[in-house]
Amino acid sequence: MKLINKITIWFIGIVFLITPVTMFISRNNIKKHLDEAEVTRMKEVNDRVAQQLMAGEKPDRYTHGRPIAISLLPGALPDQRVTVVKDNYVAEDLGRKECRISVDSYYEVGAQHYKISSYNYVIKSEEIFRGMLSTVVWKMLLMIVAVAVTARLLSGKIFSPLRRTMKAIHSFDLKQKNKIQLPQTSTTEFKELNVFLSKMTDKAMEDYAAVKEFSENASHELQTPLAVIRSKIELLSETNIDGVQAALIGDMQNAIEKLSHINRSLILLTKLENQEFKATESLKFCRVTKDVIATYEDWIAMREINLSTSLDKTIPLTIHPALAEMLISNLLSNAIRHNHDGGQINVLLTSREFCISNTGLPPQGPTCELFQRFKKSNQSNDSIGLGLAIVKQICEVNNFAIDYTYADGWHRIHVNFYKNDQSVINSTGSLTTEEMLLA
Amino acid sequence: MKVLIVEDNKELASGISDYLNGEKYICELAYTFEVAREKLSLFTYDCILLDIMLPDGNGLELLKYIRQENINSGILIISAKDALDDKVNGLEGGADDYVTKPFHLPELHARLRAIYRRKTLEGNNLVVFNEIVLNTDTVEATVNNALLDVTRKEFDLLLYFVVNKNRVLSRQSIAAHLWGDYTDNLANFDFVYQHVKNLRKKISAVEGIDYIETVYGLGYKFNTSKT
Repeated sequence: MKLINKITIWFIGIVFLITPVTMFISRNNIKKHLDEAEVTRMKEVNDRVAQQLMAGEKPDRYTHGRPIAISLLPGALPDQRVTVVKDNYVAEDLGRKECRISVDSYYEVGAQHYKISSYNYVIKSEEIFRGMLSTVVWKMLLMIVAVAVTARLLSGKIFSPLRRTMKAIHSFDLKQKNKIQLPQTSTTEFKELNVFLSKMTDKAMEDYAAVKEFSENASHELQTPLAVIRSKIELLSETNIDGVQAALIGDMQNAIEKLSHINRSLILLTKLENQEFKATESLKFCRVTKDVIATYEDWIAMREINLSTSLDKTIPLTIHPALAEMLISNLLSNAIRHNHDGGQINVLLTSREFCISNTGLPPQGPTCELFQRFKKSNQSNDSIGLGLAIVKQICEVNNFAIDYTYADGWHRIHVNFYKNDQSVINSTGSLTTEEMLLA
Repeated sequence: MKVLIVEDNKELASGISDYLNGEKYICELAYTFEVAREKLSLFTYDCILLDIMLPDGNGLELLKYIRQENINSGILIISAKDALDDKVNGLEGGADDYVTKPFHLPELHARLRAIYRRKTLEGNNLVVFNEIVLNTDTVEATVNNALLDVTRKEFDLLLYFVVNKNRVLSRQSIAAHLWGDYTDNLANFDFVYQHVKNLRKKISAVEGIDYIETVYGLGYKFNTSKT
């Protein structure tokens, strides 16, 4: 939910909560003031009648038509010269509630004591409340409309720095060396946010540069000695050597080959982790698959492996070309290497997934562990155990889902290009591959 | 051929120059950016081997200098950085080719020869050794004027042998030459044997001399002293 909507809802909620309370308070106030005014008036009327009595006039003319009663009071005057009584009762003749206020005043005129009482019917609180209700409903409606409209109009203005900041973060790329550009703002919170963000991104960029530099330097520092060893051994093999020495040199060459392969693979993994391979445009994945398969045809033929392919045409995917090639190449070479002579490899490519399956010895452990670095299904093998780790990393970088299963003598690796509908693989994919190919 | 080797690692530089001296090339060494620039301003070279990372500067800067001064030498970049942008920068900056460390010396030599053929021996795309003629443009090989029916890989293999004649070529170096980046995924080098065997068979079929011999434990050698 948008921030502005949340604020609006809260605001309206508070208005709803406060309004009955204020209504209650104002009703009481109005009622109190009306009653007081009535009481004061009646007191004054009583006083006026008393004055007339004292002056010896007959108050009849004044009291005529007014609800005033004058009576002689036997006995002493009460302590309280004025008493006010409020009566709420149901008038039986009218069948409705009435509110009556009566004021009794006591006076001493000459030697006699008089009691003068006035009474009047006043407005009931329910009537005040009813009068207020329609006003309040209108007031609230107007307020809600006003709040909703102004919030929308104002939010465009108030939150524009935040929106621009978010846009800036969104388009920020660690790999591009330009610093993040945040908009100027006069709002304190947004200012703080911007300061914090620029600090954080600067730090991230520094760290990224440091890591990148380290991995590059590490590669340089290792590659050069490797190049020295390799060239010296090559020069050594040109000299006059006997068979024993030649065998020793051959072993060294194998070891250096492996070492440089490991080094290259580790550098590649670091680069993948650094997200250095950014796909900018889509490429035809089917084309890449075909090219890679063509490269390995010699090897496949030599191992007398039967390769059957089912490649759909025009499959555009947004992936770095080097990574696409590496992904297929690693999977295919694995399928060849871990196969037995005269085995079978099936390659299936659809717009949703790439699936490769091959015959081979059962793995000596859970298949998911084979994605870990330096994990090999067969420890005595020639491979260095980084191929699948690289494959996994490539899939992660490109948001592909990968799974590896082994069943009935078949190794199967599925790469799903659309991670979110993985259910498609699990429900149908695994059983169709061979059927489709062998059909 | 006169070659300038710009490489800060002295052992590597001497290794390269030892190998190239064996081909009767004249090699000069420059360990730093400044020395390299000085040499370039004084002498002319057919080819320059250029390391990107130098203690006192970047090889790409030197490339800029070479272009500014209109020096018409072939340039082969050697770098430990195989970062793609470096590769692109180098080739866009006027370099002719690019090898990454650790390279095989015969590979370096083959690439150097290829640059030399393109740059200096303009239009001449024939590599000739005795009765063997290789046309790098049409990818055709003839032995005693008889067309050799070879695949692209076998042609590359023969060219690699002829360029690096009388050298011991390890199976690894041959694999790296023929399969490039894919070599890493090849578990063993049996198919190198397969390709060499096929090539020898095809040369024998047209009654050419089989110069290629096996060097026990190491690899192969194109032995020119065979008759």
